Amino acid sequence: MSLDRLDESPPRTARDISDLLARVAQKDRAAFSALYKATSAKLYSVISRILTRGATSDEVLQDVYVKIWEKAGTFNPDIASPITWMATIARNRALDEVRRAKPVSFDAMGDDLDIAAEEFDPLGSRERSEDLKRLLECLSGLDEEKRQMVLLAYYRGMSRDALAKKFGRPVPTIKTWLHRSLSQLRGCLST
Amino acid sequence: MTTSPAPDDPDLIAAEYVLGTLEAAERANAERRRTQDPGFDRAVAAWESRLSPLLDLAGDVTPPPSVYTNLLLRLPPQERAAPGLAGGASVSDDSPFLGQSNVIRLQRSLRVWKTSAIAATALAASLAMAIGVRELTQSRGPVGTAANFVAVLQKDAASPAFILSVDLETKSVTVRPVAAQPEPGKAYELWLVDASLGTPKSLGLIGDKPYSTAKGLPYTSQIVQNATYAVSIEPPGGSPIGVPTGPVVYAGKLIQTTP
Repeated sequence: MSLDRLDESPPRTARDISDLLARVAQKDRAAFSALYKATSAKLYSVISRILTRGATSDEVLQDVYVKIWEKAGTFNPDIASPITWMATIARNRALDEVRRAKPVSFDAMGDDLDIAAEEFDPLGSRERSEDLKRLLECLSGLDEEKRQMVLLAYYRGMSRDALAKKFGRPVPTIKTWLHRSLSQLRGCLST
Repeated sequence: MTTSPAPDDPDLIAAEYVLGTLEAAERANAERRRTQDPGFDRAVAAWESRLSPLLDLAGDVTPPPSVYTNLLLRLPPQERAAPGLAGGASVSDDSPFLGQSNVIRLQRSLRVWKTSAIAATALAASLAMAIGVRELTQSRGPVGTAANFVAVLQKDAASPAFILSVDLETKSVTVRPVAAQPEPGKAYELWLVDASLGTPKSLGLIGDKPYSTAKGLPYTSQIVQNATYAVSIEPPGGSPIGVPTGPVVYAGKLIQTTP
């Protein structure tokens, strides 16, 4: 029997991942293994940015793949890309975890919160999708502080409370700003 | 009304839900609303779609190998049609995932084994009968009469098997490979897996001796008794990093043979 299935070169395209998900829906374990190989680093990255404790991230990643194993049959490629579908499961699970846990300490999060620099700069060689370009253009229409709030929330899972502490503003102000920013994004993306 | 958004605009609640800024109670409310209000659920999906391009920038972080191993142990046992193993060479046979674990109650009588109609467990049963029961009832085994827990790790009737017996008093685990030959250049390594320990703990390599014993395990009796025991395929000398690197080929839990 072949024991090195995990060393198959990972599938790369959305179509490949969709095919794997379809096979996982039929409880094909070899497909599940290939799916894990192809996507776990992305999902782990999403999760571990939100959860700063490694052990928790490990457990959450397991939970996410168990859910993918169970729910693969509900994936609809007409609605979302497969990686978006999986990453949404991962984000939601991580957010549930971080909201249930004690409030995240800022010391634990470190000071490297300059998402703008961290996320946007070193991507020259990476091909950005049209959707991403458009979203980035719309984000760049927000004030610096508000853009940072949106990105910190999306990537780091920061709540209104956490953002209020980080930016030294009252929670209601944060909420108002978030709503304005999101409203503006919605308008920008619909043009 | 000005252009300033209304505070309770459902679309902005959906947006905040997706963005992740809601506190626990509001988040739970939003999740409940998704199941009851199709319009709200569509709004959430639209925001997921709007913001998801950001995921392209999230980068990759390779998770530790232990995550994969533990994940395998959480999947339900592989379903396999027992009678005749129809379609013998099914794709899943060479899957790196867990084989079915046939855990056998050794205290049943020999006659019960012989009349058992469960084809897939027949070999495991006979192995247990020939080796395990004799050891248990006649105290000839290396762990003596206190060996009161046992597991048979076997994928299917045609596969190699391991018989595992555990002495809770001395916290010793004895494993016997039965017609189990690793591929050349590979070794079988035995692991104890328990959620409270975090990563799987190596109990050592399973040699080609009649049996291998790990004595005085540094874990509580409860862990030793309730843990999952797993066998992975590793390079000669065992996993270089202390957690399984190769596929986990067998896993099972103990069952009590002498209450």
